[in-house]
Amino acid sequence: MRKVHFPPSRLVFSAIVALSGGLVASCGTGSGANPEQVTVYTGRHYGIEAVFDEFTEDTGIEVRFTTGSDPELRERLVAEGANTPADVVITADAANIELAASAGLLAALDSDTLRGAIPEELRSEKNEWFALSRRLRVIMHSTERVSEPPRSYADLGGSAWSKRLCLRPSTHPYTQSLVASLILNQGAEKAESIVEGWVANEPLYINSDTDILKAIAAGDCDVAITNTYYLARLLDEDPATPVAISWPEQPTTGAHLNVSTGAVLASAPNPGGARRLLEWLATKGQKTFSDANFEYPADPSVAPADLIVGFGEHTADLAAVRQLGRLNQDAVALLSRVGHE
Amino acid sequence: MVRATTTPGPRRGAPGRRAGRLVAWVVTAGSALLVVAPVAVIAVSILDPTPSLWADLWRTRLPGMIADTLTLLVTVVVGAAVLGTSLAWLVTAHDFPGRRLIGWLLVVPLTVPGYVAGFVWLDTASAVIGPRGARSIWLCAAVLIVTLYPYVYLFARAAFRAQGADLRDEARVLGLSRVAAFARVALPAARPAIAAGGALVTMEVLTDVGTVRLFNVSTVADGVLRVWFGTGSRQAAAELATTLVATALALVVIERILRRGARYSRRASGRPMTPVRLTGVRALAATAGPSVVVAVAAGVPLVRLGAWGVEARRAGATATVAGGVWHHLGATLAVAGLAVAVCLGVGSGLVLFARRHGALGRVMVRASALGYAMPGPVVAVGAVIVLAALDRTDLVPGPVVLVGSLVGLVFALGVRFLAVAVNGIESGLDQMPASAVASARTLGARPIRIAWSVELPSVRPALVAAAALLTIDVVKELPITLLLRPFGFDTLAVWVWQATSESLWAQAAVPSLAMIAVGSAAVGALLVALERGAEVVS
Repeated sequence: MRKVHFPPSRLVFSAIVALSGGLVASCGTGSGANPEQVTVYTGRHYGIEAVFDEFTEDTGIEVRFTTGSDPELRERLVAEGANTPADVVITADAANIELAASAGLLAALDSDTLRGAIPEELRSEKNEWFALSRRLRVIMHSTERVSEPPRSYADLGGSAWSKRLCLRPSTHPYTQSLVASLILNQGAEKAESIVEGWVANEPLYINSDTDILKAIAAGDCDVAITNTYYLARLLDEDPATPVAISWPEQPTTGAHLNVSTGAVLASAPNPGGARRLLEWLATKGQKTFSDANFEYPADPSVAPADLIVGFGEHTADLAAVRQLGRLNQDAVALLSRVGHE
Repeated sequence: MVRATTTPGPRRGAPGRRAGRLVAWVVTAGSALLVVAPVAVIAVSILDPTPSLWADLWRTRLPGMIADTLTLLVTVVVGAAVLGTSLAWLVTAHDFPGRRLIGWLLVVPLTVPGYVAGFVWLDTASAVIGPRGARSIWLCAAVLIVTLYPYVYLFARAAFRAQGADLRDEARVLGLSRVAAFARVALPAARPAIAAGGALVTMEVLTDVGTVRLFNVSTVADGVLRVWFGTGSRQAAAELATTLVATALALVVIERILRRGARYSRRASGRPMTPVRLTGVRALAATAGPSVVVAVAAGVPLVRLGAWGVEARRAGATATVAGGVWHHLGATLAVAGLAVAVCLGVGSGLVLFARRHGALGRVMVRASALGYAMPGPVVAVGAVIVLAALDRTDLVPGPVVLVGSLVGLVFALGVRFLAVAVNGIESGLDQMPASAVASARTLGARPIRIAWSVELPSVRPALVAAAALLTIDVVKELPITLLLRPFGFDTLAVWVWQATSESLWAQAAVPSLAMIAVGSAAVGALLVALERGAEVVS
C-alpha cells in the first residue's frame, strides 16, 4: 500500500489561492445613493460618535464615518476624485478645508439655514465650507510661577521666557494657522521676527497640546500656546490644575481663532443627506458638537458650556479665518526659515 | 496491468506548453506591474524635479534632515547588528541556565511597535531626566535598536546554527582561541545573514515616521510628510521620497559589492554545534545580559502598558465606538491573514517565475520589493492613486469601489511588505540543492510541476518564517491601514492611533498589549519553523 503524501506547503498554498479568491469576492461597494446613509470623512474624532448618534436618532439617517488626519484625508479625497464614497468632510482646522475647496473638491451650498446660523466670516466666500465650532489658540501660563503672563504672541519672544516656553512643532496645522494669522495681521516681516523670538527662547517642542499643559503643571515649562479646550478637558478632570489662560492681542486683533469645519463634497453620492447633516450640525447639533469637546459654538447665539464661560470675555480674530488656507504655505515656509522645530 | 513503459519527453513548443507559458507570463508580469504601480506613480516625479523646492530645502531643513537620518541610521544599524549578532552567538555557541527560554524571549521585542515603545519610553524617561532631555535623537535610537535588533538576531542565529560544529572545531584545531574562532571564522561566515538582517533594520529606520516624531527627530521620511502635508504638493513630497528609495537601493548595492568575491560555502556535514557549557560567573553573566535586554525592550513596555490598561479599565475606557478588544482583534487578524496570504502567493509566484527567466525576472522581483523602502504614508497615497484610477476604468465593474475596500487595503499592504515574502522565499530556495530541480527537469517535469512538487515543499520552513515576519509587520503597520481601511474596520493599530493622537496614553494600552500578544504567537510559529528549517538545511 502506498501512502499518499501531500506536503503541508501545498495545503498552505491552496489555502492562499482560495483566500485570495474570497478576498476579490469581498470587494467593497460604494454607498451608492442610499438616502438613509451619509458617509463622512472626519479629521475630528474626539467625541464625534455621540454627535452622529444624536443625528441618527433625530433624522433616521445613518452615519458611517472614517477618521484620519486632515491632510491625509484631503489627499485621499483628491485621489478619489469623482469616485469618492464620501458625502461630507469634517476638518479640525480651517486651512485644510480651504485647500480642499481650492482643489475643487467641495460643493457650494445655497442654504438659508446655514447662512443664518454661521456668521459670514466663518464660512467660505462661495459657501463651500462652514465653521461648526470655534477653537481659540491662546497663551497658557502656570498660576504658580507666573504672576505677569504675556499679553501678546510677540511677548513670548521676550528674554524673560528663555527656556520657559513650550510650543507645538510646525508639523501641526494649529501652529501653521497661528503663524498664518500673524502674517496677515502683522505683516510678513514682523511675523518672522515674532517667531524668531520664540525660537531664540529655545522652546521645548511637544507634539500634543494636552502634554504641553501637563508639562506646565509639572513645572517643565511656564508659558505655552495651546487651544483652550485642552485646558477645559484637564480642568474637567481636575479643577485644581495650576494652569490659566492669558487672552492675547486684546482688544486689538483678538486671540487667534481657528475653526472646525464641515463641507459637502462636489461628488457626494448622497448630496441631500449630506446637506441635512451639515444643516443639523449648524443648528440643532451645535450645542452637542461644541460641548462634546468644550469648544465655543460657531453660532454666536448658542451658549458655550459653563466650564468655558468661566474662561472670561475675550475678542477673537474672526477676520483672519478665511485667509488661513491662502497663507498656509507662507506660514510653513516662514517656520522652516527660522528653524522652528 | 501494464502501462506504457516509456513516457514521451515533452517537446519544446508544444501548443499546450506555449499557452501555459503565456499565462504564467501574463499573470506574473501583471501582478509585478500592479505592485510596482503605486511606487512608480510616486517615483516618476523625480523625472520632472522642482528646483525651487530643493533650493528652499537646502537653505532650511534638508541639511538637518540628512544629518538626523544618517546619525540615526548609523547608530541604529550598528547597534542592532552588534547586539543581535552577539546575542545570537551567545545562545547558539554556549549553554547556560535559561538558554532556550532566553533564545525565544529575545525575539519578542520585535512585536512591540516602535511607536508604542516610543511613547512608553518617552514617558518613562521624561519622569527621570525631564521632557527636554527625553526628546533626544539618542533615546530615539535606543528605542529603535531594542525594537529592531531581533531582525539581525534571527538571521545571525540561523547562520551560526547552519555553520554546525565543523567550522568552529577546525578553527580551534588550527590553534585559534575561542574568541578568535568567532571573530575570524564564524563571524565572517555569517556576514551575509547579518547583512540581510541589517538591511531590514535599514529599511525600517529609513521609513519610520511614527517613532521619530515622538522624539522631535527630523528625518528625511518625516520631511516627506512635512513637505507633503505642509505645502499640499504631492510632487515635492514624491521627489523627497524618491531619495529614500535611492538611498536604500544604494546601500544594498554597496553591501553586495563589498561582499563580491567572498564565498561562503560550507559542507553539509550535519554535525550540530555542541554549545560550550558556561559555569560560575560566566554562566550568571550569560543569563543576566540577555535578560536585561529583554527587560528593557519588552519588560518595561509590558509593565507600563499593563498599569495603564488597569487604569483604563477603571475609567471604563476599554472599548471604542467600533467595539471592544475582540472586535479590533478580529479586524487585525482578518487584515493580517489576507495580507500574508496575498504576499506569500504573489511572492512565491514572482520568485519561482524569476528563477526561470534570468535577468528580466530578477528585475521584476527587485522592482516589486521597492515599496519596502518607502514610508508607509507615501505607499498609502500611491496605492490610493492607483486604486482610484482603476475605479475610473471599465476594468472594475460599476458598483465596486476599490478605494476603502478590504481589497484596496490588502493591495496596499502587499505593495509595502511583498519584499519580506520575496526575501524569505528566495533565501529558502537558495538553500535548496540545485541538483533537485535539475533532476526533476531531466525527468521531464514541467516548470509548474517542478514548482509545485519540488520547490514549494522544500521551502516550507522559509514560507512559515516569512508568514510570521509578515504577520508581525502587518499587525504593527499604521499609516496605510489608517488611510485605506474600510468603514468600521478598525484594527488594533488604529485604536492605538485614535488614543495617542489625543494623548490618551492609558487608552492605548489594551490594544497595544493585544498587538504584542498576536505578534508573540507569530514569533512562536517563526521559531518552530526555524528549528525545523535548521534540521532540513543542515
